[in-house]
Amino acid sequence: MNYTFQFGVALAQLPVLLSAALVTLELAFLAFWGGALIGVAGATAKTYGGPALRRLASAYVVFFTNTPALLQIYFIYYGLPEFGVLIPAFIAVVLGLMLNAGAYLTEIMRAGFISVRRQEVEAAETLGMSLFQMVRYVIVPHIAKTIYPSLANFFILLVLGSSMGAIFSVNELTGTAIDISTENYRWLEMFLLVGVIYIALTFIASVSLALIGRFAFRVKAKVF
Amino acid sequence: MHHLEIASLGCRYGKLEVLRNVSLTVAKGEVVSLIGPSGSGKSTLLRVLMGLTPPTRGEVKIDGETIDYGSSRCVRTVRERMAIVFQQYNLFQNMDVLRNVTIAPVKIKRRPRPEVEADAKRILAKVGLSDKHHAYPDELSGGQQQRVAIARALALKPEILLLDEVTSALDPELVNEVLDTIRGLAADGMTMLIVSHEMAFVREVASRVVMMDNGQVIEEGSPRQIFDAPTSERCREFVGKILRH
Ligand SMILES: Nc1ncnc2c1ncn2[C@@H]1O[C@H](COP(=O)(O)OP(=O)(O)OP(=O)(O)O)[C@@H](O)[C@H]1O
Ligand SMILES: [Mg+2]
Repeated sequence: MNYTFQFGVALAQLPVLLSAALVTLELAFLAFWGGALIGVAGATAKTYGGPALRRLASAYVVFFTNTPALLQIYFIYYGLPEFGVLIPAFIAVVLGLMLNAGAYLTEIMRAGFISVRRQEVEAAETLGMSLFQMVRYVIVPHIAKTIYPSLANFFILLVLGSSMGAIFSVNELTGTAIDISTENYRWLEMFLLVGVIYIALTFIASVSLALIGRFAFRVKAKVF
Repeated sequence: MHHLEIASLGCRYGKLEVLRNVSLTVAKGEVVSLIGPSGSGKSTLLRVLMGLTPPTRGEVKIDGETIDYGSSRCVRTVRERMAIVFQQYNLFQNMDVLRNVTIAPVKIKRRPRPEVEADAKRILAKVGLSDKHHAYPDELSGGQQQRVAIARALALKPEILLLDEVTSALDPELVNEVLDTIRGLAADGMTMLIVSHEMAFVREVASRVVMMDNGQVIEEGSPRQIFDAPTSERCREFVGKILRH
């Protein structure tokens, strides 16, 4: 191999890449929280809804978990303008990732809902708790603890999945690296560096999520 | 006047008539023990009393006041006066021992936390768990969890304590620590309605024994009467079977 690595050229782009990493995190955050809201609604519909609502939620989950997220984003980005709705690429990517995440999170949340022990709820009831108090002190903490590990994993997947934004020229980490590389031709160095940044991002995210889990929800997750 | 008065209580699950016509009274400071074969409706009776399962007919009175189980406000006052401990403890898994015991008085009764905590620590000492304030339920043995459940019920200062087979989920060597706790409560004059299969224990603490079968009270009397000289055939058969084990 007679390739000469020139990391200096890549490293010079570090500030640009780091601000792109922020966009990556932003995408992942927005998609995650939006998806979590959809997930709560979807899981509520699937667990407690009537037949029509249940079927609707199931159809949503089946559709979005059985087609590529990329396709879903394409659909939103190129499809919506056909109906007269013009949206910026960033929003389209967030929406696509959000809808996709919502489907997976519906299933994750549902597993949490189902795991609530009826006896624990009855105990709360006999102690005189109102519905709101039961939800707040018994049901939500229980669900949070049960699904926390899956949520944390899913967030990491979203950080990586946000790289799809590159295709729609959203300036997140991968897209920015592609843009710079087409100018300076240091593809290998650039992507090695970007790989390291992704690892750093997911590492920091994993560690902080594990710490939050341990102290807030008593989840005994190994940090590694 | 009777402290707790149950008259012609009925309850059904769909078509299944689980309680047919239960009448029963408990005086203040009395320890009444409910016995009877599996499926006879003992747990259902306690559930109805606590407002977990709606009665289909009959009446429950506390200190002469009729309880309307259709009104949530009324059910709330019932839950302030009576507390229940279940066979499976049913502790809140996401809270440590102290929080399990203090959550209801602090969040529901809105009593000041320092006062409630002092109370809780005293109660936990009484059930022998002073060293476990910050343990979580999954770090405790069954017997310890059951004692926490009793402490949690006591923290609300109930007038009547309902205990549903609180020792049947426990390993034999853990049964006594829980029974000791209940003995202590009986000695303190706590009014209790106890469902139990521990016949020796019932004989010792109960002031009265009520035998249920098939959703009905079929015999009641002092422990000596029920265990040594039951009058009905069904009671004799059940007591005989249980005492032989
Ligand atoms: N949620 C329910 N739905 C339908 N039937 C029920 C329900 N709970 C209890 N039953 C039925 O009601 C009857 C009485 O049950 P209950 O639990 O009160 O009996 P028990 O005397 O406590 O018995 P055990 O000694 O086994 O605890 C049983 O036939 C039982 O199958
Ligand atoms: Mg029972």
